[in-house]
Amino acid sequence: MLVVMKPHASQAEVDAVVAKIRSLGLVPHAIPGAQRVAIGITGNKGALDPALFEGLPGVRDAIRVSQPFKLVSREVKEEDTVIDVGGATIGGPRIAVMAGPCSVESEPQLLEAAQAVKRAGATFLRGGAYKPRTSPYEFQGLAEEGLKLLALARERTGLKIVTEAMDAETLPLVAEYADVVQIGARNMQNYSLLKRLGEIDKPILLKRGPSATVREWLMAAEYVVAHGNVRVALCERGIRTFETGTRNTLDLNAVPLLKSLTHLPVIVDPSHGVGLRAFVPAMARAGVAAGADGLIVEVHPHPEEALSDGQQSLTPLEFGGLMEQVRVIAGAIGRPL
Amino acid sequence: MFIAMKPHATEAEFQAVVAKVRSLGLTPHPISGAERRVVAVIGNVAAVDPDDFAVLPGVAEALRVSQPFKLVSREVKDEDTVIDVGGEKVGGERVAVIAGPCSVESERQILETAEAVKKAGASYLRGGAYKPRTSPYEFQGLREEGLKLLALARERTGLKVVTEVMSTETVPLVAQYADVLQVGARNMQNYPLLERLGEVKKPVMLKRGLSATIREWLMAAEYIVSKGNPDVMLCERGIRTFEPMTRNTLDINAIPVVKSLTHLPVIVDPSHGIGLRKHVPAVARAAIAAGADGIMVEVHPQPEKALSDGHQSLTFPEFEELMRQARVIGQAIGRPLR
Repeated sequence: MLVVMKPHASQAEVDAVVAKIRSLGLVPHAIPGAQRVAIGITGNKGALDPALFEGLPGVRDAIRVSQPFKLVSREVKEEDTVIDVGGATIGGPRIAVMAGPCSVESEPQLLEAAQAVKRAGATFLRGGAYKPRTSPYEFQGLAEEGLKLLALARERTGLKIVTEAMDAETLPLVAEYADVVQIGARNMQNYSLLKRLGEIDKPILLKRGPSATVREWLMAAEYVVAHGNVRVALCERGIRTFETGTRNTLDLNAVPLLKSLTHLPVIVDPSHGVGLRAFVPAMARAGVAAGADGLIVEVHPHPEEALSDGQQSLTPLEFGGLMEQVRVIAGAIGRPL
Repeated sequence: MFIAMKPHATEAEFQAVVAKVRSLGLTPHPISGAERRVVAVIGNVAAVDPDDFAVLPGVAEALRVSQPFKLVSREVKDEDTVIDVGGEKVGGERVAVIAGPCSVESERQILETAEAVKKAGASYLRGGAYKPRTSPYEFQGLREEGLKLLALARERTGLKVVTEVMSTETVPLVAQYADVLQVGARNMQNYPLLERLGEVKKPVMLKRGLSATIREWLMAAEYIVSKGNPDVMLCERGIRTFEPMTRNTLDINAIPVVKSLTHLPVIVDPSHGIGLRKHVPAVARAAIAAGADGIMVEVHPQPEKALSDGHQSLTFPEFEELMRQARVIGQAIGRPLR
């Protein structure tokens, strides 16, 4: 349920509603908004009676939320969530561009990639220090050493760092270095990890599971928000289909669908979405044209030597070309980069 | 295998190559491009040495085609195929716009829609007279009466008519009325129908099967082209996935991938691709940004009263707005709409 306060409700009236929710053994969630103050309620088993709240002073409305996801739903919060990442933003009119190598491999590799993507116009640096590889025999990432290199790259370039946390044990360490904590597709329904993310003070980039429905994905985001972290961005990275000509099938239907269902920002990963370098720019253009709030793109100084995902990583030169094309599309639909 | 002639090879040199192909018991398919003439060789070419052709006068090169699809492959013909539909081009610089109702329902409905989509900038009218409906109890289309109404709409508006042909028996009748013959998703691998369409002198729009891979789709196109009809356009209309919130999952990946593999034009159907009216414009924009050569959109005067696909059909004002957005994207990537 969502309790919507009148525009000029006093703090005391808001506090009284919160106290009433707590007294019923339920959990109140403040929903920030420019237009109105609202309080989301979770923890109820079965529907609540709106009459419980409608009579309270300062309350305009008490609304049942029809979707199974509540706090992430547009029913609860109409306006887009804009995540502030130390001055850079995810959501809002500006398209956020995140780029960098699949894995952090070495200091020269990372610094070269960081400088190149910065020059081309990215504002976030991606790079994995903990890598969920399909084979246990493949490169698993540099772990804390990789995080330190990411911090060094941030210091040199001013780019914000997006990097993956794979488990609850290493989450505090990753959160210490990262500006945005990424949850990989394979962990989208790792609920114990999702609950822990609710307790950290860093934005989360939640990738869609390879065979997760849009509803399951939003429920996963709900876990994070319900546990206290409202700064969640969703990342479409392609789903598993029968098509063998591409690594995944980038589901761009999901972009307008999500934008209508949730207020959270939606990022598109064309690199994993198609998995073939030659087609990444076309899919990046399409992602932005469909209404995505940002892109995350794999870039490597020497893709042929990459320890992971070389076949879908762009060279710095190719990334420059992608940025030019994306700028044209973004400009056409009135969204700056 | 394909044999490319030198730019200034003579007709006699070209005919000598064709004769040599025939003498080996193989089938030559001459392909004329702006840059060069090519002879594609179909049949058991495993035993033939390309060098036997490479040394002939006027031959630039002779190479084996690595893909299982040959005539539709970019290896055989590098330049984009541009299909001329009575003066309207599909596959050139301009993004082609096909719009109209799912089914032809009445004279008034089709004429009203034709005039509206024409005014908004479409060049082709879509509308089904033969309808492959999931349920045998649902409206199956007006059949020949529907074809006549489409012809009337063409006469009134000048729009080219795109309509589906469902069976080999009705090919001659539908071909008599249509400007472009559509093969529906459910018939993508109806091989007798594909072979029959190879003999027709009308362009064919081949929709992707609901669970067809790109390779299977291109092989289906190869059926039509290998039987003699080079005017084939492909139409991506969404594939079957596990996602239940959308009718299909529009495979936008397929646009650049298919464009790299084949010279045939690629059209996108955002209406079936997502199946929800309010999201059709967003995926139409994405398709054009990804490089589609055209879009096909369902439009109905009163979608809530449509006999089929009402939930994904746009009203006239919604279609005008889609066209406005599509023009902006087309302009941005140097591919104007009308």
